[in-house]
Amino acid sequence: MPKIIIDGQEIEARAGVPVLQAALEAGMNVPHYCYHPGLAVVASCRLCLMEMKLPHPKTGEAVWAPKLFPSCQTPVKAGMEVRFESDKVRQNQQRVMEYYLLNHPLDCPVCDKAGECYLQDYTESHGAATSRMVEDKHKNPKKDIGPHTLLYSDRCVVCGRCVRFTNEIAGTGELAVTNRGSRNEIDVFPGVPLDNPLQGNVVDLCPVGALLDKDFLFRQRVWMLRATRSVSPVDSRGQTIFIDHNEHGIHRVRPRYNDQVNEWWISDEARFGWHHVHSADRLRQPVVRDGGQGAAVRWEELPGRVRQEIVQAVGEGDGAGVAVVLSPMMACEEAWLLARCVRELAPRATLALGYVPVRGEDESFPRGFVIKAEKCPNRRGIETLLEHFGGATTDWGGVLHQAVEGAYKLVYVVGGYPDEWVTDRRITDALGKVERLIVHDLFSSALAEQAGVCLPAASWAEREGSFMNCDGLIQPFDRALSPLEGVKGDGQFFWELAGEAGLYRAARVRERMAAELPAFAEVFVPQGLPRHAH
Amino acid sequence: MKHVGVPNSTSLEVYKSDGGYAAAAQALRMKPAEIVELVKKANLRGRGGAGFPAGLKWGFLPPGRDVTYLCVNADESEPPTFSNRVLMESDPHMLLEGILISGYATQTTVAYIYMRGEFIEQFHILQKAIDEAYAGGYFGKNILGSGYDLECYIHRGAGAYICGEETGLIESLEGKRGWPRIKPPFPAVEGAFRQPTVVNNVETLACVPHIVSRGVDWWLSLGHENSWGPKMYCVSGPVQRPGCYEGPLGITVRDLIYGEDFGGGMLGGKRVKAVFPGGLSMGVLRGDVFPRNAGAVDPKQDYDELDCMLDFDDPRRYGLMGLGTAAGVVVPEDVDIRDVLVNVTRFFGTESCGQCTQCREGSNWMRKIAGRLRAGAGRLYDLDLLEDISNNMGMMPGQSICGLSDGAAWPVRMLVQKFRREFEQHIAAQDPEAAERVLREINPAAYELPIVEGRATRSVGGTFQVPLDACGAGE
Repeated sequence: MPKIIIDGQEIEARAGVPVLQAALEAGMNVPHYCYHPGLAVVASCRLCLMEMKLPHPKTGEAVWAPKLFPSCQTPVKAGMEVRFESDKVRQNQQRVMEYYLLNHPLDCPVCDKAGECYLQDYTESHGAATSRMVEDKHKNPKKDIGPHTLLYSDRCVVCGRCVRFTNEIAGTGELAVTNRGSRNEIDVFPGVPLDNPLQGNVVDLCPVGALLDKDFLFRQRVWMLRATRSVSPVDSRGQTIFIDHNEHGIHRVRPRYNDQVNEWWISDEARFGWHHVHSADRLRQPVVRDGGQGAAVRWEELPGRVRQEIVQAVGEGDGAGVAVVLSPMMACEEAWLLARCVRELAPRATLALGYVPVRGEDESFPRGFVIKAEKCPNRRGIETLLEHFGGATTDWGGVLHQAVEGAYKLVYVVGGYPDEWVTDRRITDALGKVERLIVHDLFSSALAEQAGVCLPAASWAEREGSFMNCDGLIQPFDRALSPLEGVKGDGQFFWELAGEAGLYRAARVRERMAAELPAFAEVFVPQGLPRHAH
Repeated sequence: MKHVGVPNSTSLEVYKSDGGYAAAAQALRMKPAEIVELVKKANLRGRGGAGFPAGLKWGFLPPGRDVTYLCVNADESEPPTFSNRVLMESDPHMLLEGILISGYATQTTVAYIYMRGEFIEQFHILQKAIDEAYAGGYFGKNILGSGYDLECYIHRGAGAYICGEETGLIESLEGKRGWPRIKPPFPAVEGAFRQPTVVNNVETLACVPHIVSRGVDWWLSLGHENSWGPKMYCVSGPVQRPGCYEGPLGITVRDLIYGEDFGGGMLGGKRVKAVFPGGLSMGVLRGDVFPRNAGAVDPKQDYDELDCMLDFDDPRRYGLMGLGTAAGVVVPEDVDIRDVLVNVTRFFGTESCGQCTQCREGSNWMRKIAGRLRAGAGRLYDLDLLEDISNNMGMMPGQSICGLSDGAAWPVRMLVQKFRREFEQHIAAQDPEAAERVLREINPAAYELPIVEGRATRSVGGTFQVPLDACGAGE
């Protein structure tokens, strides 16, 4: 840990990082655009310039060098002394901020980035109130550069982050800079739109409002959004995200920095994988079918009803005829509650891992970003629990097979998949043979139609808990929304089913789990970025 | 330049008949390190503009390297400069011999000639010369039986000024956008294709055969302290004999314009108003008398700046950035200095690559201001503004990645400082009403938008009123 002096303050920096990064990590607000720790350094915005002490060529004494150095390009060296608080540096910052606004349209009132825009922030903190240019601005065009993205190049500051992202991280290189001088524009090549599985990140990377997400376009002002820490349920890697929401609605999903998994990025699947939460087709009412017509039922009656079903199915026996299908979309805590409750009522009940959706193959990108083929967040967590509970365990195929054989009197199926998953006749045929079928799912399906008890589930954004990703990392996620009207959080229902009173809290359940399963004593929460980093 | 004008001077035959490639044969019998020593002793300074010693540059190459590239900078785009073009047109084999010797000295494996896109005829001439040299055994495998291999290719640029900057050139050579790289690492350590690379100007390399064949003593007999050897000068503008001339380093600007062997005096006996002696980016010299004090001319103190010697050090005493390309462009007395400013800023505004903010925005801002001054809507404040922008854009040492920003700012600052009085006279002579009309045309918004009291007030920025932030103007 080399010690360096910034503005007279000694700080310990991580070895090998640029001075800018060290300053940001020490909590200093150094303006910068082109620098991003995940991308190559180009030192082109010239906003982070600093003064540095160098040995005088004649006397050898350390003096402030006449030149300003880019702090993003200068690596930390033990004993170095630099400063940002000086007239020279401040004057440069002020001039550069003035340059940025020369041809900027100043259309903040209609800009999606307003409120989280670093052109606004730095102009406020480092710029001047007015411009000295009296000539007319020239205007670069607005462009549609891909199926999900717009480029307003009149707002662009040509930091080149997006270009470097497509070259280095996505490896697709759709973006490039064209033209010269202040007519510089970011653009795509003719016939090659910006369309790759990571492209949405360029919108987050853009420090200003040049790159815009069509999905979020004119949707909300960002200062009206609340951010909730969550984990994306779209694949088994467990990409950490922020859900930006207000008034019971999600408006966008952005990456949450995670040094272990997804770093600064998320896949487009994760970014746009929330629309099912607001689908009109979701189940909204628990239904009980006592042969023939279904009847709506109140949530209060349900824990008793489900327990009764299980008890009746167990009858005089030991419960070998009971099976619980734990979906890999469930949080560890929910699965643990349900499995434990069922095993209490039916000690020899079969615990099964639900249907695991897999699409294609794992997709790897140049710098190590991986999009998993397994499109569920918690297969590994459910497997860990099955191993822990022991006894009769099987997987989805096993359940169907046994059901055809007529081995089960009761099957409790938890679904929760964002897409339609009961597409195979064999599923409905096999489970149709089961006397008592309980289905707990997000959407209506042929299976839900068959169920004696059909429970509407809550989506991941309406629940809390933790997912164990494909590498065994347990990451908690918070509840962003309250469940739809008529729907109860899955965890809350299992909590009540287990005969507990009060509110389900994932952390409390985790504490109990940890007594049996030490792995759950500690969950992984990635450290946030320094306050002024972006 | 001895073959210029000789019939068929581009052919290998003619070149060899005059002792061509003898220096190469001689050099290939020496050790590479000996040639580097020789060049260091001759203190051969780069002819491309910056004047960096070539021997020193070669010495930065890391020892024990496998691959070395030699990039020949033939992207000659500095406005009044055309000496490389003359060399390549008339004496291509001299360049090729220089490449061979320098390549051997630096143990280069491949030499690339990065040629400006607009050089079309020159490309065909040089390509033919290379083909001849290959056929004659001066390139390829086992050159002249020495066991040394060297390949030579021409890469044609697309006509960008910035690709004459050495790292911009390398990026462009690699097939990318010609954006200069951040340094370090310098090209000698990590250049083209991430390998050690030497980048030298055409004229620099063309000097090397003469150092080898005629010896260091002959070289040091030309020029003077720190600026040894011959140099190719260009002179353009309204002189009797515009063109490219060779002479020892250290002639004066007056020689270049009025010398019998050079420009031969001004056309029609006009007087000189200004001279850009080293290409546009190096700055400007005053050609008319330069009174120290307003009012009467004092013959003891006042002088024009035409006695500036064209060597590597003297121009700095006159506020220039350096020798540059030693290509003088002469501005006669009847030219409006505002036209000159428009011309200069237009060039750099178009040629800024757009990577660094200062250069990208600043150069175009200066261009707009210059255009407005020319249109007769100037303010006195604009002169301060131009100086302020140019100060921020880059004074040596600059604040951007490459030197273009310095090169764009320097001549503007020089023009404004040295010819301020003339600019002021033009502004004073403006018709205020016409000026306002022009300004309305340029930016109607400045007049149509309501101005919030307190934030931006109307202040007197020049000879007429324009909306302007009082605080901003005060700085």
